[in-house]
Amino acid sequence: MSARPLVHVVDDDESLRTALLRLLDAAGFEARGYASTGDFLLRLPEDRTGCLVLDVRLPGPSGLELQAALQRQGVTLPIIFLTGHADVASSVRAMKAGAVDFLEKPVERDALLGAIQSALARDTLRRAAHDADQGLCARFAALSPRERQVFDQIVAGKLNKQIAAELGIGERTVKAQRAQLMLKLGADSAAELGRLAEQLRQASNNNTRPPVA
Amino acid sequence: MSTTTIRIATSALLAVTAAAWLLLAPAAIAAETRNVLVLYSNNRVLPANIAADGGLRAALAGTPDAAVFSEFLDQPYFSGPAHEATVTRYLREKFAAAPPRAIVAGGDFALDFVLRHRAGLFPDAPVVHMAVSQSHLRSLPQLPADAVGVPLEFDFSGTIEQALRWHPNAQRLLVVTGASEQDRGWEARLRREVPLVASRVTVEYLAGLPTTTVLKRVIELGADSVVFTPGYFEDGEGRRTAPRDSVAAIAAASTAPVYAPAITFIGIGVVGGRSPSFEEIGRQAGLIVKELFAGNAPASLRLPEIVRSALRVDWRQIQRWGIDEMKIPADAVVLFKEPTLWQAYRGAVIGAVASILLLAALVGTLVFERNRRRVAELAVQGQRTLLAHASRLAVAGELTASIAHEINQPLGAILTNADAADMILRSGADRREDLLRILADIRRDDLRASDVIRKLRALLAKQEVERQPFDVNDAVNNVASLLRPEADRRRVTLDVRPAASGLSMVGDTIQIQQVLINLVLNAMDAVADVTDERRVITVSVEKAVDAIHISVRDRGPGIPTEHMPQLFDSFFSTKPHGMGIGLSIARTIVEAHGGRIWAETGPGNGAVFNIEIPPSGAPNHSVRTKR
Repeated sequence: MSARPLVHVVDDDESLRTALLRLLDAAGFEARGYASTGDFLLRLPEDRTGCLVLDVRLPGPSGLELQAALQRQGVTLPIIFLTGHADVASSVRAMKAGAVDFLEKPVERDALLGAIQSALARDTLRRAAHDADQGLCARFAALSPRERQVFDQIVAGKLNKQIAAELGIGERTVKAQRAQLMLKLGADSAAELGRLAEQLRQASNNNTRPPVA
Repeated sequence: MSTTTIRIATSALLAVTAAAWLLLAPAAIAAETRNVLVLYSNNRVLPANIAADGGLRAALAGTPDAAVFSEFLDQPYFSGPAHEATVTRYLREKFAAAPPRAIVAGGDFALDFVLRHRAGLFPDAPVVHMAVSQSHLRSLPQLPADAVGVPLEFDFSGTIEQALRWHPNAQRLLVVTGASEQDRGWEARLRREVPLVASRVTVEYLAGLPTTTVLKRVIELGADSVVFTPGYFEDGEGRRTAPRDSVAAIAAASTAPVYAPAITFIGIGVVGGRSPSFEEIGRQAGLIVKELFAGNAPASLRLPEIVRSALRVDWRQIQRWGIDEMKIPADAVVLFKEPTLWQAYRGAVIGAVASILLLAALVGTLVFERNRRRVAELAVQGQRTLLAHASRLAVAGELTASIAHEINQPLGAILTNADAADMILRSGADRREDLLRILADIRRDDLRASDVIRKLRALLAKQEVERQPFDVNDAVNNVASLLRPEADRRRVTLDVRPAASGLSMVGDTIQIQQVLINLVLNAMDAVADVTDERRVITVSVEKAVDAIHISVRDRGPGIPTEHMPQLFDSFFSTKPHGMGIGLSIARTIVEAHGGRIWAETGPGNGAVFNIEIPPSGAPNHSVRTKR
């Protein structure tokens, strides 16, 4: 899935774009350049950890518009903005919309590399969390309907006897189901089941689609 | 001889020589020089002071032991009791070892100063006043017996009388004065004298006003007015200047003839005036010093009443205003009569006036902070192209944001490339090819940035109006490349359609470009609030019958009918901060090239500005006027 992280650089100034790719390469990052928003979206890269270095001013849709579009599509690549003119309003909007950083040109090397490190770390974490969620959802989907019912009851705090009565099955069956579902979910206590239930609730609330790229 | 004898003899010889040197040499060096301290009211480079200094030294050339030292009070920049105390102390200590034998006071202010601080300076030295006006002398209490001089009188009345004689049809006389103390003195005198010589006309006094107000007023005068000004040291806004510069600005802006009463003003645009020569004034003062040094007592000197004045006149201005040559008195001094490449239409170009000082202040961002010196040039030259130039600066000011961006981009790439090279070198890997490529890119980006500056310089360069053949397509393309960054910044598309083949015309390419820049910037303002597909500005060049046709079309809201008649008038603007001079200067330039400019509301709303110019760019061969 995620191999080496990939930094995407979108800037219509060819000279600066080339220079940035060189710098990133020299710093040990793998990087790819795009001349416009359209160029980037067309070649929307594969599922891979990464981040986006984006000029605010681009031909066609602006950097901020791209940020909004990516969010709508559920693309969660962290974004670092570059701007040729200090624009407080734009930077506030960008940061509020979740950008990692907003840097003025000429770009300070350490500021840029530091921001990229943060961005990649952020993306790695997010992916890991998502993978964990995915895994959990898959394991949960593998439960049989009966197992699911038992799960709900355990999480609600019921004892085996109560569960048996509630569901109209024998207590021994309840115990067997309980063992099964714990095995399937990889939990070893009721408390942990409760935590997993919460995690599932979060995952479904976020409704995160798989991060693209 | 024995060595001892030799030694004794040598020492004796040395001693005698030394004694002789010590005793005799200082006396030979000192030889009794007599110092003359000349104290001027204003500053070192005032043309009047330089001329006076020349005359004074010439008069004292025959007195070799006289040594002249000039000092300057730099009024009105410095004044007040503290300053005067400092100067007094400085002079006293400087000349303590060799006090001056005579003090020459140049100007009203200097004379007052010398009399006021006489006790603290050199009370024994006689005072010679120079270039001090009659009226000022009259206002002083009795002068001490050893303070003498020949008073100066600017001949205000004589100049005005002469002006009115030369312009018998004039209905109005404008009198312009300033706000400093000296200026107010002149104003008071003029208010007394003018009614006596100008009863035939309406008199309007522009006294102590901001320069911009004055310029605005004089630009709208006509041939039925005459302007008189002695210049001023300070205007109504506290802006300090030299009289010559203020007169130059007024003369440049005025559409009526300007008269001024000083010799140093001839040649900068005034018709002329009666003036005493400052060199003569200095010479007069020098002669007095000479007499005093010859041992004559101050009271015994027989001095002329006032320094003679003569009528001085600029031949070019005589031609310009159509003054009857027969009416020039025989004893007038006529200057600039040799034939020059006088461009008849220069006056027309300067028909519109800009607030020069206001516009210079517009230019003050990143790039321009480094070029502040260039902005300061504006205030000094007094050339006619000042106004068109100031208008170009305003345009450049509007482009500042995009210019800064255009320069910042390559700078950013250079920095990042340098950082990359640094990291590569530190890594120790042999990546020579990469490093060479990096250096090449750095060089290229540097040239990119300097190219932007070069184009900007070309736009801002102050040039005399030229008449050269140039390609209209090139001019249009240059304008497009200058404005494209701005268009990008404003998200506007610039659609340029040059003529099919090269189109040459004769004229001033910078001025024509200035007109186009103005029109395109206006068009960009017009589409500022319009939807994306209408944010297109089209500039086309076509060859028409016997003329070149350029049009600038936008799809903005168009021009309301009620604004059409005034569109090209001076100071008409619909913008909240608009000066309203862009289109009027545009019209002036186009008409100076023998063309015409007009506006139409285009199909589907929006506006089209059309320019038609004959290829010869000749003012006499104009395209039919359609109003």
